[in-house]
This record gives sequence, structure tokens and C-alpha cells, in this order.
Amino acid sequence: MTMTGNGLTTALRRLRRAGVVSLTSLALGITLAAAPVADVEAKNTFVFANSSAYDTMDPHAVFDVGRVAYRINLYDGLMRWEDNPPVLNLWLAESFDITEDGLTYTFKLRKGAKFHDGSEIEAADVVYSIERMLALKKGAAALFIGTVASGSTKALDKYTVEFNLSKPSAIFMATVPEIHVLNADLMKQHVNNDDWGSAWLSTNDAGSGSFKLKRYDPAKGFLAERFADHFMGWGDKYLDEIEFRTVVEINSRVLGLMKGDFHGSDGYMPQDQIIRLRKSDNVNVEEQESMRIFYSIIHNGRSPMNDINFRKALSYAFDYDGFINNILSGSVARNPGPLPNNIWGAPKDLAGYTYDLDKAKEYLAKVKEPIREITIGALAGYGQTEQAAALLQNGLTKIGIKSKIVAEPWPVASGKMRDEQQMYDLLFLWKSTYYADPNNWVGEMYDGASIGARNNSWYKNPEVDTLLHEAQTTTDTALRERNYAKAATMVANDAAGIFIYNTKWFGPIDKRAKGFRFCPIGNGQEMRWVYFE
Amino acid sequence: METASFLIRKLAEDRVALLGALLISLLVLTAIFAPFLATHPADIAEFHPVERLQGPATAHFFGTDRMGSDIYSRILFGARITITIAVIAIGVSVLIGVPIGLIAGYYHGWFSDMLMRTSDIFLAVPQIVLAIAIAQTLGPSIENVILALSATYWPFWTRLVYAETRSLQNEVFIEASIALGAPPWRVMLLHILPNIMSSIIVRTTIGMGGTILTAAALGFLGLGAPAPSPEWGRMISESREFLPEAWWYATAPGLAIFMVVMGFNLLGDGLRDILDPRIRRSRAHDSK
Amino acid sequence: MKLLVLVLNRFFWFFPTVLGLMLVTFTISHVIPADPVAFVAGDNATNEQIEALRAQLGLDQPVHVQLYRYVLSVVQGDFGVSLYTLRPISHDLASRVPATLELTFVAVLLSAAIGIPLGVISAVNRNSLLDHLLRVFTVSGLAIAAFWLAILLQLLFAMELGWTPLQGRVDGWGPDEVTRFYLIDSLLMGDLDIFLSAASHMMLPAITLAYPAMATIVRFTRAGVLEAINSNYVMYEEAMGFPRRVIVWKFVLRNALIGTVTQIGLIFGILIANAVVVEAVFDWPGLGLYAVQSILQSDYNAIMGFTVVAGVIFIVVNLIVDIAHGFIDPRESR
Repeated sequence: MTMTGNGLTTALRRLRRAGVVSLTSLALGITLAAAPVADVEAKNTFVFANSSAYDTMDPHAVFDVGRVAYRINLYDGLMRWEDNPPVLNLWLAESFDITEDGLTYTFKLRKGAKFHDGSEIEAADVVYSIERMLALKKGAAALFIGTVASGSTKALDKYTVEFNLSKPSAIFMATVPEIHVLNADLMKQHVNNDDWGSAWLSTNDAGSGSFKLKRYDPAKGFLAERFADHFMGWGDKYLDEIEFRTVVEINSRVLGLMKGDFHGSDGYMPQDQIIRLRKSDNVNVEEQESMRIFYSIIHNGRSPMNDINFRKALSYAFDYDGFINNILSGSVARNPGPLPNNIWGAPKDLAGYTYDLDKAKEYLAKVKEPIREITIGALAGYGQTEQAAALLQNGLTKIGIKSKIVAEPWPVASGKMRDEQQMYDLLFLWKSTYYADPNNWVGEMYDGASIGARNNSWYKNPEVDTLLHEAQTTTDTALRERNYAKAATMVANDAAGIFIYNTKWFGPIDKRAKGFRFCPIGNGQEMRWVYFE
Repeated sequence: METASFLIRKLAEDRVALLGALLISLLVLTAIFAPFLATHPADIAEFHPVERLQGPATAHFFGTDRMGSDIYSRILFGARITITIAVIAIGVSVLIGVPIGLIAGYYHGWFSDMLMRTSDIFLAVPQIVLAIAIAQTLGPSIENVILALSATYWPFWTRLVYAETRSLQNEVFIEASIALGAPPWRVMLLHILPNIMSSIIVRTTIGMGGTILTAAALGFLGLGAPAPSPEWGRMISESREFLPEAWWYATAPGLAIFMVVMGFNLLGDGLRDILDPRIRRSRAHDSK
Repeated sequence: MKLLVLVLNRFFWFFPTVLGLMLVTFTISHVIPADPVAFVAGDNATNEQIEALRAQLGLDQPVHVQLYRYVLSVVQGDFGVSLYTLRPISHDLASRVPATLELTFVAVLLSAAIGIPLGVISAVNRNSLLDHLLRVFTVSGLAIAAFWLAILLQLLFAMELGWTPLQGRVDGWGPDEVTRFYLIDSLLMGDLDIFLSAASHMMLPAITLAYPAMATIVRFTRAGVLEAINSNYVMYEEAMGFPRRVIVWKFVLRNALIGTVTQIGLIFGILIANAVVVEAVFDWPGLGLYAVQSILQSDYNAIMGFTVVAGVIFIVVNLIVDIAHGFIDPRESR
């Protein structure tokens, strides 16, 4: 589709269409009524090439980074994370209040905020939304189960909603943006066998977000138009439409960007592709420090990895420098611990491990248990995890540890991660930002209370647990910062995992697009601030 | 029945089939002598990040891959994987398929029908579809690729042997030996099997090519041997994110697959011309 | 009469075969080592959440109950819901069938349009240099890995020369869906831009898919023409003084084509098999790509659905070919 439609080309188009139509109708032997030709309106459409497919449009169904675009552009929460480093801003809420005991959170909604169908957003809609999440138990629901009980949330009046937590939680506020508010009246029209409208919502829009769903096809992606009545208002410049198209192959995304067919794409491409993009006249590559650490889980509960000396030997056997500087061409920053360097609470003086085979051998000699062949897990289709696994294998062979690599797709790996017996000895993967709080990393990954669920290392250290639990239940930020730093240091000293790097985000963006605001939580895909020059 | 010397003489006359045999011998020799022919034999498990993605040069004939390993050396070792998969998978398929075909062809009745319908079910879906489902379910590894291929390829031999057995049954010498009271297993093994051997050999040779292609496709889809295995299909799939800059990355493994499959197809064609009397006739006709 | 027996026999076995196929796919998918439920439940799910979801999906039931329910619903055209999106799989499959069929049809047309003339030329000039070159060309078609050919074509035509798109089915959203064949729908809409876009996207995948099929067609056409040329019938025509060109293209070809038509089942098999990898490389939104994506997500309801649908399409095509062949050439239906 051409975006400019001056008189001549329009006339030509019309002529050509007429010709084709008559030809086709002749060929088919049927007469078609002359199709009315709508003038092509010049629209600002931002086309984003996304690597994962949008299988569903239900904001409560999934909670991953690959499909964040529809959650953040079509829906709103009470609060929203913005910018980098992330700041938690008021959004649908105009104010909030937390009681002294940290159990009751009261939010006042903006008055006159509207859903896409024009009806007003009310406290009852928020209540419906959290209840739906708790009932469906999918996506981000896990963040609230155990903290928010079903039926405990109340609409005090039309604009006031009250959350009553069953136990104090320091991270509740950080996760509030994940309660995407649905239009309850609209949803109730589409319920089918107590499914909370899931079948309908998977292909439709019941939100209030900056953009309104116009077209959706699971095989292609979605197209949304600007919602002019959005409660946050709009500046002078904005996009008329946004299109998120699924383009699985990295080469297609890169070529499309260079040709100007796409205006944005994901920011975690291999460095070789970034170098190509930088040469293009159409593309700017924005660089941002992100919060997405790459590490290897070590199964701390199984012999011989339950021996700290063995874990240290593993940590000294990985060629960090070769991986970061050669294989990834220095596009990421070394991150020696379980917290991203740029989040508050990250220990500043953590030395971490280096590639030092002599030290590795030294620690290996102290291991009493018999050494057996180690299974290194990698995620199939994620070349980096395979390359990291191969590099570690290389180092292990040199210090006399046999190993084999198993690359399995993420669904298989994520299933095994929950089972103490099936879990690999080691597994390379990333930990992304779901909420910008140190608890997202060290608090989820190494809490003894969540072993088998979110702690997939079977790591249990009572001292770390005490620090984490204190941090999880207090609102004293200084104390929390101290505790997370201490916990992260202890985890690193215990060599509970092989911590490798923190990702930098290299976002390719069309040179004409401005106003872009990156935030690790939205993965740089919030489009309401963007406009074309 | 053809004798071995007749076969070799005929093959030697057919230059195209000879080329096929040559390509196959090359594969076998490569697989056996890989450690001696490779310039960087350690590179199947050793990596040099500094040297990654270098183009073809005297140090690396076919360039280096994403880990800085020598692609030429890895191709040579990949030949071992290819041979292992093809030989075992086809061997198992023949061992399963031929007896079932013999039994179903020899006996008449519901049991034969059932055997043939079972094989029809497997033939009802393109092989790669079932193989994908099986390999995916069992998890990616060479063993599972072999298993998936064996489980989906045997019906080809069953159907072939069944048809040939049925058509042989009306031959006088078979009827005679049955009339003389020979036990069924004797008739099948000593009288029927030798007479359908040539068809089995032709089918097996051509089947090797198809199996290697399917195995490579499974590797390409990530269902074969895990990294850093030098499996050819996997090498091609690895290369995709480095195109078009690293054009050499996919070239060498693709050519290797092509040459080997070509070898089996050419030899199979040649063998068929020699062993299948019907086609031999039409060929004679052809050259008239 | 014999024809009727053949038709009845094929129809009689159709249902047990499909049922058997379902049994096979069900068996395969139930020794699955992965836990798809854990994946569906999400990154941060608790174990209670997973168990609840498992019950909701009926995966906590004994295997025979699951099988019974599965067969019963498949017969009604219901393949269950995707474990990944919870959308009905029958919808997903139905929305992807047209893309695969369009690509396959174009590939068949392409391979026949090129393969048949080449086969005739090869036969007429048998044992010439041209014949030998064509033989190399066709044998290569059966030896080349489809995914490798796809990548080579992408490398040359899309990346280096920039003549064709790298992958996908169309730029933008495509035409209004009437037949859901983009090449036809775009013409119905009268939008030449979309038609050209769809055609240029079609080019590389169709060529990749057509090559091995074409190789098969060349071989069978060549053999058929040779057989016909050497038949008494042609000698008679020759004696009657018809020019050789007329004989070859008019009389011989017609007879030879019967042989080629019967190979459609075989050609279709090659196409479906290659479609899986070709669609994956070209990101062609058809059944094959759906299968590959479902594999990566361990979405075994979807994998079973795909296998059954692909199998049924394949069985139906072979059924039609068998019956058609019985009509064309009654001798074969013994």
C-alpha cells in the first residue's frame, strides 16, 4: 500500500483497478458491480517486526516479553513502568494509599477514563480483572496467587478499589501494572461455559489502551488504530496506526528494516546483524542498558554440584571473555552476579569469576564425591545458549570433566525445570524483567521457599532466605537494598549459578521515528509516545 | 538369478552408476579416515571464538563456523553421523519390513490384511510428518532420529515384498515346492526371498538417499543431534542467522548432502536397470 | 464391475485407515516427555496452578479415557484446543490450509508446465548430450535437500540481488478473503499491487517445492513417451505419413501423460513432505509452518491435528487418483 495518494496516482490506480476488475470478471464469466474506490488516506502507520507470533490477544493469558506489545498498547493498568531505569508512574490510578501494616492498598481511579467502546472505566472493572486472573491462573496470575485471595478485592465506590493482601508484600506495587483492566460489561456478554470470555477475548479487544484493535490474524499479527479518547491524552504528534507483524526469520526483519518496510524490531539481535543495520540509511540503532541477565542454572541439589568446590570449578571453566568479546562482539556487559548491574541493590564490588583453568583444577581437586558426566542444557532455537554450552563443554574437557549437551525447546526445558529429577545439571538461559525490582531476579531465583517453582537451582541457604524474606515483607527501601545486595553476593560466592552477562538492548528504529521511550518492562514496544517526523 | 560377477561387470559398463558407487565409496572412506584427513580434527569439540566466521582460505578450506571451528574438518566427521543414521535406520526397516511382507504375502486371510493395513496407515502420511512427531516426542538426539526413521520406513519394504511374494506364488517352482510338502518358512526363505532379493537391493539403495535427506531435514528442524555435533542438517540451520555474510557456512554441508544422496540415487538407478528384467527390456528397446 | 469393487474396497478401508492413523498419533503424543501444561501455565506459575490447568484440559484423566474422548471429538471435526493458545485447533488448521494448497497447486502447475515438455524433449532426443544434461538436472532434483535449495535461492535472489522478497506470503495484510487464495482474491479485489506482491512472494517457495516434483515428472514423461514411440501404434501413424512433430506432441504425449497422471499421488507426497521444511524456511503461513511451530511449543494437540489432517488430505488424494486411474485405464484395476 502506498502511503501518499496524490491525484495522479489515485487516478492511475482507479484506472488500473477498473481494468483488472473487468478482466477478472470476464475471466470468471460473472459481472461484478464496480467496486467503489476509497481514497487512500495518508496514515502514519508504524510497522514493527516481531520475532514471536501473537497466538492470543488475551492480556491475562500470557506473561512473556515476546508478546508484550498488545498488553502494553491495547490495555492499561492502574500503574505503569516507564523509561530506563524504570520508574513506576500513576496511570489509570490518580492516587493510591497503603496502610501501615502493608496489607491494604487503595487506588483512586481517574474520573471519565474510557474503554474503547466509550463506556467509563470503573472500580468494578478492576475487581473483575483481578478476579479473572486469579480464576484463570494463567500469565501473570502467579504474581498474585498467595498474596491476593479470590473475593478479597473490593470496589468501595465507583472510583475506589481496595486490595486486601493476605500477607505483606514488598513487590505488590511493582506488579500492579500487570493487572490489565478489562471492560467487565463487555466481557460478560461473551462468556461461554465459565470460560471468563477466554475464547472471545483471544481474538478481540476489551481494553482502554492507547490503541484499539482493528485487525488480528494469529498467523500475521495485529493492526491497531489510535484511541483518540485515551485518558492520558495525546500530544501534537502521534501515530495513527501501529502494526505488529510476526516475522520469525531474523534476516527478513533486518532486510525489511533496511528497506524501510519495517520501522522497528526486537532489540536482541546477534551483533553481526546490528553491524549490518548500522550501515543502513534508514535505520538508527538505539542502545540502552537493559535488565536481562544471561546465566546458567546449576542444579545445586544434586551430586556433584552440591559441592561448592565443584560449582566453583564450573564457574572458573567458562570463557567469559571469549563469549562476550568474540562470539557476541562485545555487545553485552559482563554481569558477575544474579542481579543486573543496573538495578538498585546490585552489589557494586562483586568481583565474580574469570576464565582460569588452573583455579578450576584446584577447586576440582577438593571435590570428594566422584565426578560423573555432566548434562548441559541449552534452549533449541536459541543459538547463543548452544554456543555458551559448547564453550563451557570446551573448558570442562580441558579440566577433565566429561559433559554432554542437550538442546531442547523452551516448553520442554521449562517443564523439566520444575522437576528435581528431570532438571538438567546445568541450563543456560536468560532472566528478563517482569517487574523492576531486585526480587524479580535474586528473590525469585534463589528463594528456598520457591524451590521447584521459580527457584530451579534447588539452592537453599537459610541466611539468604532470611535476607530475602525480610526484604519481601518490608517497605523500608534502604533495608531492602542492603538485603538484596547481601543476598546476591552470597549467591555469587556460593557459585550457585554461572553468571555471565547483562544484555544491552540494540533497538533498530526507523530514522524518521521520534519520541521513542525505552523501558525494560515493555521491551521498548510502547508506541504512544512515538511519532514520525 | 544374477551372479556377483555379472553385477560388477554390468555396473562397470554403466558410467553413471559407477559415478554413484564412487561417491558412496568417498563417503565411506571419509567417514573411516576422518581423523587423518581432517586438518583440525579437534574442532568437533574444541572452539576458537577469536577465529569465528572466517571465509574459505588455506588455513580453513571451507571457512570457520560460529564457534571458530574448521568447517572442512567438521564435514568429514559429519559423514560418520550420516552413515550411522542411514545404515542403522535402513537396516532396521529392512529387518522389520521384509519378514512382515513375506508373511503377509505368503498367507491369505484376515491376518495378512491386518498387517498390510497397518503398513498402509504408516504410508498414509508422508514419512517426514510422522518422523517429526516421533523425534519431537522422544527429544532431540541421533538415537531418536534413527528410531523415528526406522518406525516410519519399514512399510516400504513390506509393501514391496508383499507384492512380489504374491506374484511369485503362481510360479510353477513355488507351487511345486509347496506341493512337495516344504514347510512355509522354507518356501519363504529358500525359494521366495532369493528371487525378490534384487528388488529389495534396488529399493534399499534408493531408500538410503531418501533416508539421508529426511535425517538432514530433521537435523535442520533441530530434532537431530544437539550442538556442537557436526551433523550436516544442523550446520545448515546454524548458518541461517549469519547469512548472507557467511555464505560459505551453509554451502559445504549442503553440497556434502547433495553428493551423497546423488551417489545413492545414481547407483540405485543403475542397479535397477541391471536387476529389473522388465526395465532391462525396455532399455534394450530404447537403444534400438 | 471390477472398477466398482475397487472403489468400494478403497472406501471401505478409508475409515479404518484414518482411525489407525489417529491411534498412531495419539500413542506418539502420549509418551511425550515434556510437560506442556507447565509451559502453558507460564513462567511464574505455582505447582497448584499447573495441576488445576491440567485438570481443566482433561490431561489428568487415564489414557484410555483421553483416547476415547479424542477419537469421539475428532470424528466431529473437533481437534481440541491448542495447549498454547487455547484456541480450537480446527480453526487454526482451517485458516492455514488455503496457504498450503495455493502453494502446492502453483508448485504442481509449475512442475508440470516445465516437467512435461522437458520429458518429451529428453525422450525425443534420447541419448543426446541434451538428454544427458537433463538427466543430471532431474537426478539433482531428487538429491538436493529442499531446505538447502531454499536457502541458496534466498541467498541469491532475495539477499544478493534483491529481486524477490525473502519470505512471507504478501506485504501487509493481503486481500479480502474470498477464496483465501491470494492470487485469486487480489484479482477479485482488482488490486494489482497485492497480486504482484503475492506473486513475488510465491516465486521462491514454489520453485523450491516444484523442483523435486518436476524431476519426477520429467522421468515419467520421458519413460512414457519412449514406450509410446516404440509402440506399434506410432509406427502405424508414421507409416501413414504424419509429420513426426505432430505424432510426438499429439498422439504420443496423450498416451504418455496417462502414466504421469498416475504418479500424482507420489508427487503429492513429495510436495507435502517438502512443504514442512520449505514453509519453515520461507515463513509461509501454511500447515507445515504450523506443524513446525507446534513442535517447538510441544503443542501435541496441534501436532496430532496436523498429522491427521495431512494424512486425510493425502489419503483422499490417493483415493481420487486410484479411482480416476481406474476410469482412465481399466486394465490396471485388476
